[in-house]
Amino acid sequence: MREFLRSPVGLVGALLLLIVLFAALFGPFIAPYDPQQFHAASRLQGPSWKFLLGTDQYGRDLLSRLLHGAPSTVFFGLGATALGVGAGSIIGVIAGVVGGRVDSIIMRALDGLLAMPELLFTLLIVTFLGGGTTQAMLAVALTFTPGMARIARSSVLSVRTREYVLAAVARGESNTWIIGWEVLPNALGPIIVEATIRVSFAIMIGATLGFLGLGAQPPSTEWGLMVAEARQFMFRNPWCVAVPGIAIAITAMGFNLFGDTLRDAFDPKRRRS
Amino acid sequence: MTVSVDRPVLEVSHYSLAYATPEGEAKALDDVSLDIRHGETHALVGESGSGKSTLAWAIMRYLPPNARNLAGRILLSGEDILGKTRAQMEELRGRRIAMVFQDPSSAFNPTMRMGDQIAEVFIRHRGMDRKAAWAAGIAALEHTGISHPAEIMRRYPHEASGGEKQRVVIATAFACNPELIIFDEPTTALDILTAQQILDLFLRLREETGVAALYISHDLGLVARIADRVSVIHKGRIVESGPVSEVFRNPKDGYTRALMAAVPRPDNRIAVPPPTIEVPVLQVRDISVRYGDPGWLARLLGSDGNLFYGAQEVGFDIRPGELLGLVGASGSGKSTMAQVISGLRDFQGEVLFGGRSFRSRRDFDRVYRRDVQIVFQHPDASLNPQQTIGRILSRPLRLYGLTPPSRITQRVAELLEMVLLPAEFASRYPHQLSGGQKQRVAIARAFAAEPKLVICDEITAALDVSVQAAVARLLMDLQRKSDAACLFITHDLNLIRQLAHRIAVMQRGRLVDMFDVADSNSSNRHPYTRALLNAVPIPADLQEAAAI
Repeated sequence: MREFLRSPVGLVGALLLLIVLFAALFGPFIAPYDPQQFHAASRLQGPSWKFLLGTDQYGRDLLSRLLHGAPSTVFFGLGATALGVGAGSIIGVIAGVVGGRVDSIIMRALDGLLAMPELLFTLLIVTFLGGGTTQAMLAVALTFTPGMARIARSSVLSVRTREYVLAAVARGESNTWIIGWEVLPNALGPIIVEATIRVSFAIMIGATLGFLGLGAQPPSTEWGLMVAEARQFMFRNPWCVAVPGIAIAITAMGFNLFGDTLRDAFDPKRRRS
Repeated sequence: MTVSVDRPVLEVSHYSLAYATPEGEAKALDDVSLDIRHGETHALVGESGSGKSTLAWAIMRYLPPNARNLAGRILLSGEDILGKTRAQMEELRGRRIAMVFQDPSSAFNPTMRMGDQIAEVFIRHRGMDRKAAWAAGIAALEHTGISHPAEIMRRYPHEASGGEKQRVVIATAFACNPELIIFDEPTTALDILTAQQILDLFLRLREETGVAALYISHDLGLVARIADRVSVIHKGRIVESGPVSEVFRNPKDGYTRALMAAVPRPDNRIAVPPPTIEVPVLQVRDISVRYGDPGWLARLLGSDGNLFYGAQEVGFDIRPGELLGLVGASGSGKSTMAQVISGLRDFQGEVLFGGRSFRSRRDFDRVYRRDVQIVFQHPDASLNPQQTIGRILSRPLRLYGLTPPSRITQRVAELLEMVLLPAEFASRYPHQLSGGQKQRVAIARAFAAEPKLVICDEITAALDVSVQAAVARLLMDLQRKSDAACLFITHDLNLIRQLAHRIAVMQRGRLVDMFDVADSNSSNRHPYTRALLNAVPIPADLQEAAAI
């Protein structure tokens, strides 16, 4: 961990993440105004002492909306990734461990799914499931599953031929023991790292869906939706698009940098004993 | 370029180098001095981590960004190369200093024809056009005694054998008649017979060109044959330096002496007494292993894959308390046999063990698997990095129910003591141990099961000479105490003649020879066995070899 914080990239990533997570956990309590309260007298204003980040077309305080939107945006990303990574890893580990024909069938099916562009695939699923946060989350999770399954499988395959696993096989260990104690603990690293990086994708896809009106519905304070609603007033007050946009970028960057450093930390070639 | 005779081609004087690490500066080279004259071969001998490769890279000025020159000078024909810029060094490399690497398979760009990679040197340093460079490349290859040089030029690296590739690497190194060539263990990755040919080539080209050579190696027998002078490097310091004959006949430094004592000598037997029971503990009969069986889809499409045999109708037996050596070049099927007997690979044929017959991999039960244990080649890969040593060693005890749970900690300490490791290692993780220590743990794990047969698959190949000797002695000691039989797989013919009672020789998946160690020089040996034996210098002749 000390090693981790010594890398400047990791430090910045960790700091950004801390800010974002703080906003996600305590945002609604420290917000100065009700996010839905109209201030008719001060619409589309820039930052001032009264409204720290300005107001939108109805005179709602942008800072309050941002802070209220943080939990749904961040937990959307985390939830979608957790679901996708969970399902993908299980499928991938099964394919990698069982091998043979099962592996071939699973992987060819996943190859088919992977051939579709991620966003297009998400849109397709949302069209089936209908709009709304839960549906969007499921859609993103489903999109992540094939990719994660591939990564989990290759990770399992690379561990399976290591000599300590062969030693366990030669010793006559049961399959469950070999998978649970020898293979999985060593295959987990790449999966965790990939998951961290994917959170940022999930947040961005979530925001995109919100922007397209397929995710969270008004009057939600989800950040993507905030950008979409303010779009027509962009030229009268750039702040109402920039503020949620920058918030999305910071969150995505935080998870990305954190994941990159995590990958380096897990890389045994860079690890010092 | 004229080289004055009295000016050394390479002078390294009081050179020190350190790597900047988060824990502070780590000194890699400490006050290193050596010089090489025209036509001279200077051997640099040391174990892994001694700094021998660092010195090679320091001379090439190709160091990682965290390397710091602390003191000293490196002169090439009198020119200081420490002060040269990157562009100047690039001009120098390949033209005046060349390098031959250890592993020919990774020395080439896999997407370029080998001919283009030689021609590049001529185009860059001799200003030739492509056609002339290509012709020069063919001429250079012809010089290495390769057959069909024009055809080799057109091939991609994966289409050539290791020996052919190493010839091309050497041809490339000699291409511009450099003043100095650095050889970084050029034969270590090749099998014995190919290595022999590459050495002959090196000797011939050295004779013809009079190049100064820095030859990095850990193999003292080889150094004795080819070098004029030798420097022994230990922990970044040169502990002894001088003419080969002098250093080897009369080593002054304690480390040099230890290194020489560790070299396996066939006449210095450390084997356990020969087996007294004639009934074999293990018999293998007509074992065949096929690789590359076509998958169901390929079969459906009418392809029969590229089937070949990893082992073909191999049969031998091992008596209780015996050590059977299994030798052969890489790819000869030695390790395939280890995998068959330890139940890691499907096979055809029959394995007889303790009066029971096994005809497929699935027949091996836990009783068999407990009695037959395996130790692998790479100590870094054979221990689970997530588990402590104590947990690793306790696993066979729990699995086979050998020790009551209350006594396991005590037994693990005994096992560690048995392989001469301190008991507190039980709480450490594998990455905190050195390669030799890890291999001891792997051996302890095998013997923890109280087996009747231990398979050692090249267990000393990844270790340094001095560690190798200690591990071999430890294994003999354990075999003496436990009376277990041992199948020892190796390519080191000197080592195996120290340890084994009988030796089996494999070539291309077949068992070609089987003999008592005492008969290794008898006249009815298989020609392949004789070729293998002749290819390795016997270190007992170190002094004589050096005297020539």
